[in-house]
Amino acid sequence: MILYLPAALFFVSLLMAYGSAGRRRQAATIGALAAAAWSLALLVDPGSVAWAIGPMVASLLLARTGKRLNSSFEGLTRRVATIVAALLVALLLAARLPVGENPLLLSAVPWFLGALGAAWFASPIDQPERLQGQVLMVAAAAAVILAAVPAGPVTASLAGAMALVPLAGDRWRLPGRLQLPFSLTLLALAIVAVVVAGIGPSIARIVLFDFSVDVSGVILLAIAVLLAAGAALTPIGSEWAALPGVLAVSATAPGLRWAALGALIAVATVLAKEGEHLAWIAFATLGLTPVLQGVATSTSTSTIRVQAVALGLGLVLMVLASRAGVIRVLVLPATGFLVMLALASVASPNLVRLQWIAALGAVLLVARMVLAWLIDRGGRISIVRDQLLFALLLLAISARDSLGLGALAAALLFIDLAVVRIEVMPERWSGTAARLVLLARSNWPPAVTFAGASLAVIAALQASLALGLLAALLLAGLQLAPLLDGHTLAASPERPRSALRWVSPALSIACGVAPALLLRMLRL
Amino acid sequence: MPLAAQALLPFLALLGAAAIAQRRPRRASNGWIAVAATGVAGIIALVELLRLAPGEHVDVPYLTTFPYADLAIRLDGLSLAFATVTLITAALLMLARLRLRGDRRDPWISWLLTAAAACAVIFAHNLLLLYIALQLLTLAWSGALDETSRRRRGLRLSVQVADIGLLLAAASAIQSVGTSAFSGVPSDTFGLPTFLLVLLPVVVRVAAVALTTGGPPAAVAFEPAIVWLAPAGYLLMRMLALMGGRLPDRPTAVVLFAAATLAALAMAGLALVERSGAHRVALLLVAHAALALALSTGADPLMTVACTWLWLLLVPLAGVASVRAAAGSAPEILTPLNLAMIPGSTAFVGLWLGGLALNARGLLFGTIPVAVAVALSAIAALGRVARPRSLHLDPPTFWAAGLLLIAAFPVVVMDHLVVPAAATVRLVPTGTIVASPFGIIAGGRPWPALVVSLVVVLLLGLAAWRLGLKAPTLPSLKGRGKIKAPTLPALPTVPPWGRFVLWGAFAVAVYNVLTRP
Repeated sequence: MILYLPAALFFVSLLMAYGSAGRRRQAATIGALAAAAWSLALLVDPGSVAWAIGPMVASLLLARTGKRLNSSFEGLTRRVATIVAALLVALLLAARLPVGENPLLLSAVPWFLGALGAAWFASPIDQPERLQGQVLMVAAAAAVILAAVPAGPVTASLAGAMALVPLAGDRWRLPGRLQLPFSLTLLALAIVAVVVAGIGPSIARIVLFDFSVDVSGVILLAIAVLLAAGAALTPIGSEWAALPGVLAVSATAPGLRWAALGALIAVATVLAKEGEHLAWIAFATLGLTPVLQGVATSTSTSTIRVQAVALGLGLVLMVLASRAGVIRVLVLPATGFLVMLALASVASPNLVRLQWIAALGAVLLVARMVLAWLIDRGGRISIVRDQLLFALLLLAISARDSLGLGALAAALLFIDLAVVRIEVMPERWSGTAARLVLLARSNWPPAVTFAGASLAVIAALQASLALGLLAALLLAGLQLAPLLDGHTLAASPERPRSALRWVSPALSIACGVAPALLLRMLRL
Repeated sequence: MPLAAQALLPFLALLGAAAIAQRRPRRASNGWIAVAATGVAGIIALVELLRLAPGEHVDVPYLTTFPYADLAIRLDGLSLAFATVTLITAALLMLARLRLRGDRRDPWISWLLTAAAACAVIFAHNLLLLYIALQLLTLAWSGALDETSRRRRGLRLSVQVADIGLLLAAASAIQSVGTSAFSGVPSDTFGLPTFLLVLLPVVVRVAAVALTTGGPPAAVAFEPAIVWLAPAGYLLMRMLALMGGRLPDRPTAVVLFAAATLAALAMAGLALVERSGAHRVALLLVAHAALALALSTGADPLMTVACTWLWLLLVPLAGVASVRAAAGSAPEILTPLNLAMIPGSTAFVGLWLGGLALNARGLLFGTIPVAVAVALSAIAALGRVARPRSLHLDPPTFWAAGLLLIAAFPVVVMDHLVVPAAATVRLVPTGTIVASPFGIIAGGRPWPALVVSLVVVLLLGLAAWRLGLKAPTLPSLKGRGKIKAPTLPALPTVPPWGRFVLWGAFAVAVYNVLTRP
């Protein structure tokens, strides 16, 4: 009977949260979190309760007004329908992905917490509720994965602490005098990561108690890309947003890794909301993979198949969401590198499945662009070159060839899409500087676009003839894209004019001249 | 001097001259510097070629910056022969441009960079590097760093898209044998699809010769010889070399021979009715290239020598044809003589060799369409030749006369330029061709080149100066019954729910992927 108490506590808290306001509602939210922590303690071990510290602190900091907000009939209906649907989906997933021999209502509580967060995020009554929803989603992702793949108390507490990041993204900016030094520090760290990856000794992982980070070549490269993008392209004062991304790619514990990615998405969507729903759906899809991995032994082998499909689908959805803003600058490379790391364990038959999905995604990207133009000729159209590069990126990631060219092409395209093809601020370049910037953003050698796209075609052909031909068609389209796009680049928040504006062109030319050095960093 | 440094000398000469011209814009001496640097680069390539032992090839690696595209130079008979011919042609074009008065444009940096890029194409050590060099060549000749630039956009994009065929060929080689280096690819690596992929950039470049003469005629056009025909010829010959000097199968060879010969016939026929002099020259060059392509389909040494001769000599011929001759000047009659492909011209030597090879294989009837194409070309080229009014000893006169001299004395280029290049493509046994100052002997048949040239010159001279004969010309097709280009119907507007259909289709496809066994 005691095993059902967490679920009971959760539902009581849920009803209280929906039916009250102010401190009572805050207490109810914390009650729901306590229910999830209790469930986690029973499912895994009591040490996992440390996970709850972060989300509870975040909920305490998210003070709400005591006055109830007026709600219309339509709004109320929508909210009720959303939470019921979310809870049903959560129950279904909990039933399909059971943790051990535990009762369904016990193992479902972390899933219910995620459903609550998703409902508040999808149909918020006000902005704080939306933020609270993001906090709960990040916390729930950590809890669900911790239940499937247990970790020590330090890792659990760090995973839970990721729930504080959405709050920080909403409310905290670096003070003005610290912004430039912080950016420069991030750049210096990126250079260190590149040097260590290129010529340094091979370091497997760094361990502190039960918390460990992996610093192999590919991860160091991912860290360098994220730090450089964070330093040069994030909104002013939000340069720190690169750090959850770094944690996401380097943490070895899946619970912490995916929670950090969720936190990064939350920060990104707090800053710019374009594509946020798709990004969260992609996160949910990708977040299923460690859970599937955790429960794979206890269910049928079809979970491995679903895992590959979830990886592919999540990647496609994330690419579709990454049109602009921090999602594109930080979330896309972080997710992409995570998928590349996860691909290492996918067996060949399932890799073909993933390649199919990537190819479908590439076709979808182009078809969506054409369709949007056919539906509304006068409306804003996507940047054709970006869409084609995204499609090539999907093919490159899915290629996983023995020569490592797919991974290299993907890394180059991440740099291109996340760092180079972003309009930091409309600048008037002239003379040699203008020519250098034009070259850096062009399809000509030695720009990174040329290197990434060419290698993507080669890698795709290594995977299969169909992928290779599709990649060649995309490359042909890429040559024609400037006719349609002109000089359009993805918009990004304006930043003050500084030497950091040279980061993008310099990176483009450096990576385009010597992609073989990046291949060496990948150490494949 | 170490070989690694020697191999870089042509590039250093060209890029050094470009740097000097960049630092001192609009100086009169820039042109001379460009001519000297390009000429020196060509001579260096020639010296390297002469020092090369028969069948020898040298790979000079420098860096590995691009995976599977080591920054390395390939020195063999084919690359050095093409580099020599291309660079000397480029130097002659620059010299011709230098002698012009009245044109105040300063093309030297662009031409030097284009020559360096063409040199990079020819010296590239592997297929992937070759693709990169071709992209650089496109960037150099178009100058379109800004990709939205309208200047010759269609042509530039066509070439870029066609070059993807080469990228796929490189990828195919990497997939098959783990490298795209010319030394490491076995001759059976490439099949018919790969050959056709590589043929795509070749065909587009040859077609570009005909398409690029539509605008106002430039006094000296650098592109036909250096940007289009030299890379096209080199690319095809290199591909043949990688395939062991023969096409994948006999049907392919027959179809390609037929297609190329038909193209030559069509081009020569069009040249016959073309009124514009520049267009006519371009069409004749394309006919010449098409015949070279037709002879490239052969699998025996003599045929390989024939097509190598044609491709190599086509580059300086295109060069001299790209220099606008003054009315009544000597080049106005010498250049059409070269383009006519009649006995006494450089092209005819190659065609004669090809004919011998076809005859040896019992395919003499294959020479019939070639002969018709030659006849049409001769009529088109010589039909509007006017008697020269003056004889100025300017570079184009020497150049055109030099080509006729090469036809009269094939020994000048046969032993040290053509045969080494052909021997790189496939083995050419000793004695296949014996050249002497009076002619050549191939397959046991002599070709008295000197005597033939003298007779032809005498006959033509007599015809033009005494009898005032003029070849028949047909009226131009221009302006008659213009073909109305069909207009595409407007694309329909799609309703907004089209998005749901698209996403639904995607969901169904993903479900199928998930459930397939």
